[in-house]
Amino acid sequence: MMKRTGLVVCFLLSILYLPLPAPGKVYIDILSPAFQKFPIALPDFIPLDGADRETPLLVEIPGRLSDALGMTGFFRTIDRKAYFESSQTPEEEVRFSDWRVIGAEFLVKGGVLQDGDTLSIEFRLYDVVEGKLLAGKRYTGKKGDEKTMVYRFAGEILEALTGSRGVFDTEIAFTGKKNRVSEIYTIEFDGSNFRKRTNNGTITLLSRWSVDGSKIAYTAYTRGNPDLYLLNLPTGETKRLRHERGLNLTGGWSPDGRKMLVVSSRDGNEEIYTLEVDTGSFVRLTNDPAIDVSPTWSSDGKQIAFVSNRSGSPQIFIMDEDGSRVRRATFQGSYNTSPAWSPAGSRIAYEGRTGGQFQIFTMDVNGGNTTQLTYEDGGAESPAWSPDGRFIAFQGKKNGRGSICVINANGLNLRVLYGGADLDAVSPAWSPHLNLY
Amino acid sequence: MRKCNLFRGALLIILCLAVALVFGCGKKPVMKEEMGVIVKEPVQEKAETAVPSETAIQEERLKEKERQEKERVIQEAASFTDIYFEFDQYDLTAAARETLKQHADWLLANPGFDVLVEGHCDERGTAEYNLALGERRAGAARDYLLSLGMEAGRVTTISYGEELPLDPSHDEAAWAKNRRAHFVVTPSK
Repeated sequence: MMKRTGLVVCFLLSILYLPLPAPGKVYIDILSPAFQKFPIALPDFIPLDGADRETPLLVEIPGRLSDALGMTGFFRTIDRKAYFESSQTPEEEVRFSDWRVIGAEFLVKGGVLQDGDTLSIEFRLYDVVEGKLLAGKRYTGKKGDEKTMVYRFAGEILEALTGSRGVFDTEIAFTGKKNRVSEIYTIEFDGSNFRKRTNNGTITLLSRWSVDGSKIAYTAYTRGNPDLYLLNLPTGETKRLRHERGLNLTGGWSPDGRKMLVVSSRDGNEEIYTLEVDTGSFVRLTNDPAIDVSPTWSSDGKQIAFVSNRSGSPQIFIMDEDGSRVRRATFQGSYNTSPAWSPAGSRIAYEGRTGGQFQIFTMDVNGGNTTQLTYEDGGAESPAWSPDGRFIAFQGKKNGRGSICVINANGLNLRVLYGGADLDAVSPAWSPHLNLY
Repeated sequence: MRKCNLFRGALLIILCLAVALVFGCGKKPVMKEEMGVIVKEPVQEKAETAVPSETAIQEERLKEKERQEKERVIQEAASFTDIYFEFDQYDLTAAARETLKQHADWLLANPGFDVLVEGHCDERGTAEYNLALGERRAGAARDYLLSLGMEAGRVTTISYGEELPLDPSHDEAAWAKNRRAHFVVTPSK
């Protein structure tokens, strides 16, 4: 993916007392029901090195950082009205008691330097309870790089507090339908950069990101039959991979990125195959007269979850990667489909029919511990995990049309990324990390 | 017996005399013979101009009949009714079989046409599962047509899953209309 941060150079602050992450540090389980959001304070930044005192960035930068952290659902920004006046330079000692007393556990202070077109922003993250600096960074770039710098430091904060950087640098692809034509669109995690990626003028669906994020596979009726295509995002080139009469449906990619699961009806009914993308080698995995669709790999590549109605109704099954040891995973409900394997490998999200509608559920890989995640009025379908396993995108309903929503994997913090607008938005697919920031 | 033969003989003679009388009377010929002028009835000429126009009229009538026939066939081809399915089912109902039988009858009587069977679903459930379900619905209709005598080469199928609903509303009535197989009849290539 193209780097939008070509001119951002970051210098690590060599602060003597900057602690390294302790080996074996235990992070709070942010997805546990007992988790309480991190209370964080984000006061105005100060001008660095005698720069213009009136720049609006002094308020804007901590504001944008607060928004970014709020998006994750893990943070609660303490109201600025509660802050004591503080006009310290970065070098002065922080008066941690001032912040503890208003309920903050974490604090970000920083400074801005604007010199013509050059922009420098310095950020420091403090643990207010323990009274120490957790992370510090100074980014130097151009005017316009503010968002990149803010998202980069948000990643630092998430890394320090939760053990992983977050998913600001990811996009969600989805199918947008209008007037009986559908195309693939993408949108970033924060809801920005909404873009149309295909221009087929026909039914286009089932987008699946490649493992390195450089390609999207999809199925389209460009030549009158649902054929399988591969779109190279940087070059815009599209290659037709499979086009036998009947279904050629995309499925999950293998973790090493070399193979794709494909649903084909070439042998008389819908079966699951693997397609080695470079060689074209096509190997059959399932062998059953029932419908077998929606195949997806586990994150270690050793198992495949899919949907079959071989037991009388659509249910989720699991098999080994060679097609052996097929076993049923869902036993509750009459219609369970759209399996999505969590990146950590231990849970499967899916859509299950309940009360006449579909909602998102998660379960252990062996089928136990089923949890209902959504209770949407218009139903919820097609779950897709973020690459860090902390969020699930799904297709909801807004004003009678499909909308793309994101929810934390514990069912909280629902956000609508695209909804109620022009397109009927369905079938979200979450990209890997794209190095956008 | 001698009496009959005599009677017969007498009748024959009278008949011969009558014929001689008729033909011997000198019936006037068709051609008039007037002094100095022989007027030929232009029978020949009339015949030459009458034949093309007669043919033209016949051809015109034939073309019109053909055109009407073609239109009737096209209208019938376009008016193949859909068949419907239960939720998550691709079994043919009795009503569906009845409709398919009518379609088969027409297609067998009109060998110059092929049929494409489209399989469709309502919007509930995933796009992938519905593409497969649509394929099953089209396949079930096709199999039944073949069992009624249709040649395999004249029936093709395609699935559109939930992508092309007939009724875009989000209620049970719309969903029932969308769970269908649709028939597109076209002249054979």
